[in-house]
Amino acid sequence: MHDGNENKVAERRGFLKTLGLAGGAAAAAAAPAAAQAQAPRPRKETEVEKVAARYRETDHVKAFYRTNRY
Amino acid sequence: MARMKFLCDSDRCIECNACVTACKNENEVPWGINRRRVVTINDGKAGERSISMACMHCTDAPCAAVCPVSCFYTTADAIVLHDKDLCIGCGYCFYACPFGAPQYPKVGNFGGRGKMDKCTYCAGGPQQDNTAAEYAQYGANRIAEGKLPLCAEMCSTRSLMAGDGDIIASIYKERVQKRGYGSGAWGWRTAYRETVDV
Repeated sequence: MHDGNENKVAERRGFLKTLGLAGGAAAAAAAPAAAQAQAPRPRKETEVEKVAARYRETDHVKAFYRTNRY
Repeated sequence: MARMKFLCDSDRCIECNACVTACKNENEVPWGINRRRVVTINDGKAGERSISMACMHCTDAPCAAVCPVSCFYTTADAIVLHDKDLCIGCGYCFYACPFGAPQYPKVGNFGGRGKMDKCTYCAGGPQQDNTAAEYAQYGANRIAEGKLPLCAEMCSTRSLMAGDGDIIASIYKERVQKRGYGSGAWGWRTAYRETVDV
């Protein structure tokens, strides 16, 4: 009687373990794939592009300088 | 080549904190981080001064000198930027910076701080200009749009100036020649009489 119960418990735990592992593996395989499909990472700037000058003396900037002279 | 600088005219700063608010809003800066803040000296006393502080984009940046992963770089406009993909959140730059500019978003277990965040001079970072990825990591890139940092553009008293260092220095010089500086400035004697000198 005693032994029978233990076997049942082991069987049930084994089943749950299998279920858990299979589920986890499926989720692990699906998650990065889904993330990649949703948001493709844009290319980063090259070393030259990173340090390139971006400041331009536009009309907007000139207006800022002009109002600062008051 | 223009060199981008901030210049805060402390004779004009009224400690309204609009620069701080504008920066947080424009760049969606996370909770617990202020890329810019207003420091007040002699608060409540005669001769009180306020100055708006952020990363000063040093020519020989000490943060870059101590970074163990070399994530800092200086652009041709003399703006000091950093790559958050390389940053390991070690905190060395925080200790090296004389202005307290580097900030960390987290206080985690085992000293984990997250990626360092600091003023980018509204010039984004190493992601493609004005992309969603750049905005999420670094905030706005107003320089690429032909504008200047919003903190300076928002300043109501025109205390905080940004732009080409030579031009803003000449503007400041004109102001000082016209109105004086500190206790020599227009209105100082009326406010404080002869008792306070700076």
